[in-house]
Amino acid sequence: MSNQVNAPVQLSARHLSRHFTTRVPGRLFNAKHVVRAVDDVSLDLIQGHVTAVVGESGSGKSVLARMLARIIAPTSGELELEGAPIRVGAKRTLDYAAKVQLVLQDPFASTNPVHRVRHSLERPLLIHGADKNDVEALAKAALTRVSLDPPERFLDRYPHELSGGQLQRVSIARALCVRPDVLLADEPISMLDVSVRLGILNLLRGLCDDEHLAILYITHDIASARYLADEIIVMYAGQVVERSRGSVLVDDPTHPYTQLLIASVPDPSDPTSQASQKVERTTFALAEVGCRFAPRCPSAMDICRTTNPPNFQVGEGHVSRCWLHADKPEVAVEVALPERRREGESTKT
Amino acid sequence: MSTKPLDMEETSNVIERNLAPLASRSEYVLEVNNFSVDYGVGENMVRAVDNVSLNLSRSKVLGIAGESGSGKSTLVYAMTRLLRAPGVISGGEVTLNITSDVDDHLDSSVNLVTASEKELRKIRWSHVSIVLQSALSALNPVLRIGHEFDEVLKTHRSKMTKSERRNRSVELLKMVGLNEDRLDRFPHELSGGQRQRVMIAIALALNPELVIMDEPTTALDVVTQREIVNELNELRSRFGFAMIFITHDLSLLVELADEIVVMYAGAIVERAGASELYGSPRHPYTLGLLNSFPPLHGKRTELVGIPGSPPDLADLPMGCSFAPRCPFVMDRCTHDSPPLASLGESGRSVACWLHATDASVPVPVELSRRVADQVTGVTVLKGLA
Repeated sequence: MSNQVNAPVQLSARHLSRHFTTRVPGRLFNAKHVVRAVDDVSLDLIQGHVTAVVGESGSGKSVLARMLARIIAPTSGELELEGAPIRVGAKRTLDYAAKVQLVLQDPFASTNPVHRVRHSLERPLLIHGADKNDVEALAKAALTRVSLDPPERFLDRYPHELSGGQLQRVSIARALCVRPDVLLADEPISMLDVSVRLGILNLLRGLCDDEHLAILYITHDIASARYLADEIIVMYAGQVVERSRGSVLVDDPTHPYTQLLIASVPDPSDPTSQASQKVERTTFALAEVGCRFAPRCPSAMDICRTTNPPNFQVGEGHVSRCWLHADKPEVAVEVALPERRREGESTKT
Repeated sequence: MSTKPLDMEETSNVIERNLAPLASRSEYVLEVNNFSVDYGVGENMVRAVDNVSLNLSRSKVLGIAGESGSGKSTLVYAMTRLLRAPGVISGGEVTLNITSDVDDHLDSSVNLVTASEKELRKIRWSHVSIVLQSALSALNPVLRIGHEFDEVLKTHRSKMTKSERRNRSVELLKMVGLNEDRLDRFPHELSGGQRQRVMIAIALALNPELVIMDEPTTALDVVTQREIVNELNELRSRFGFAMIFITHDLSLLVELADEIVVMYAGAIVERAGASELYGSPRHPYTLGLLNSFPPLHGKRTELVGIPGSPPDLADLPMGCSFAPRCPFVMDRCTHDSPPLASLGESGRSVACWLHATDASVPVPVELSRRVADQVTGVTVLKGLA
């Protein structure tokens, strides 16, 4: 795995939040819930690093990715692209799209079924100002980068003629053809067959190591995050509950939610792993006070129900938002990797 | 587990070793023999299930693993006669052995392939029920959950009164850990996990002997999947139904199933007890599948998985259909298709030339491990004794 401590931060998010208001069912007027889909999340996407965001459905991880791609506007918080702040509410520009690209979960839904692969690849190139005479060569180059060889075989195919794995490679090629610095991958393997998943993961790792992309990998599969990522962030109900450099949090989870996630993964090598929780899922809008995980937490204490825990530094580059670690130093944390960020900044100045 | 040896009349070149004694018929809930299913007829015919034979013992769990297009769903839909045109059953038989029932006048064993619609109606739900992958599309979006329960009970238990039906529905919901107020909800008001629980409760409404689960947890996240799997185990130990569990997640099956069959391109390529399959895969495809899951423990190393892409059933290669992706491919594999032959180990069979008795090369180390070796990490001996 890469050790570029001084690699520059490509995209950074500070205190990013997104709240949605919904009507209370059954009541017509004035009764509103605020769903805090993403609540005060900070992260850095670093050149040549994969940052994984892990969480179950509804944890806000996809909303986070869309805010980073600026498809959804944040309620509050700041984005910084290569050190330049982006004003809240400013429109997403072509420049931004050229630097930050998003790959979605279902390749069959994210490619146009009536157009050939060629169209999907050439259109973004033309929009981003490539010369008409070059687009075919650029599209071919993009296909080669994602190991669809020979590219001629794929250019004139329709999406339905390709397998899920091949089509997901096409959608990664589409994201890559404008030469972005940051790739946001929202559950890129969860719709694919088991046998082709590893191929996509290895492709992402290769793009990161060889072409120094900054990659955000969103998943609910913590084992694949461990396989791929340089930093892992675990989200629950819109908040970051634990984050660590490398796979530390998988090998030594400190937050009860992370422990639950890990115990839930089918693991035939450990027949004793049988996590069981009979608690019905809480509605996120209800956890107004205290730790959001408290209603499901097996080790919830009184303080958990009244006060949301701050971040505690449980190890080097390892932060956990849980009162169980109240004896550890508190960090005002935005990022699990403060040292690296400082160094990253110093190289820039 | 003792299993009936597979019917392999064409496998003259493979000696069947260690034949298990023929068990009495009623030991199995379901017996499938030389079952084939085609899509379409004539020139454009595609064989989706190719000569599959399997048995399911009472109260046991059979796992079927394979990627999309391997024919695992087609197999169970055809088996239960739910398959619609252009799907056609082109051969074989499926025998369902029913234990008892009071007033449905069914024989104790029914051939599902030839059964009439009338017989099928009696069998479905009362004896065999099915849980589908997408609960959202299986439940009617404009009907309340309670209505779905009511309909099943009304149709199959016409003597029940309205309040009896309501009580039974509440009881079923409680069984899967849901509150009775869910009966008055619409499907969209429930979460994915709750909807899948409702599906399971409805499937169990009439105490069937066999429940078929077609990827019930694929659309759910790991935590919900774990909850549902634990619940299924609990329900099974309470009611003792047999289960066919279909998924592409082999590691989930290893935990859940007693026996696993692995399908590739419409045919069974390997069949073994769950822990044997995990500890000592014999088919290169099974090995590849097992290696495709990044592990939670141990050193982080690069994994390769299975190269290439899933096969196109309309254009299968000559010989073994896995040959183009197989790391151990030999000459013979490209023109001769290997039969599913039993191995010298209890109840195991595999369709791979590497394990043929007249094989010219030794079995690769990865495919000849013994279960114990895998567990203790002892260096492995080559070849099968």
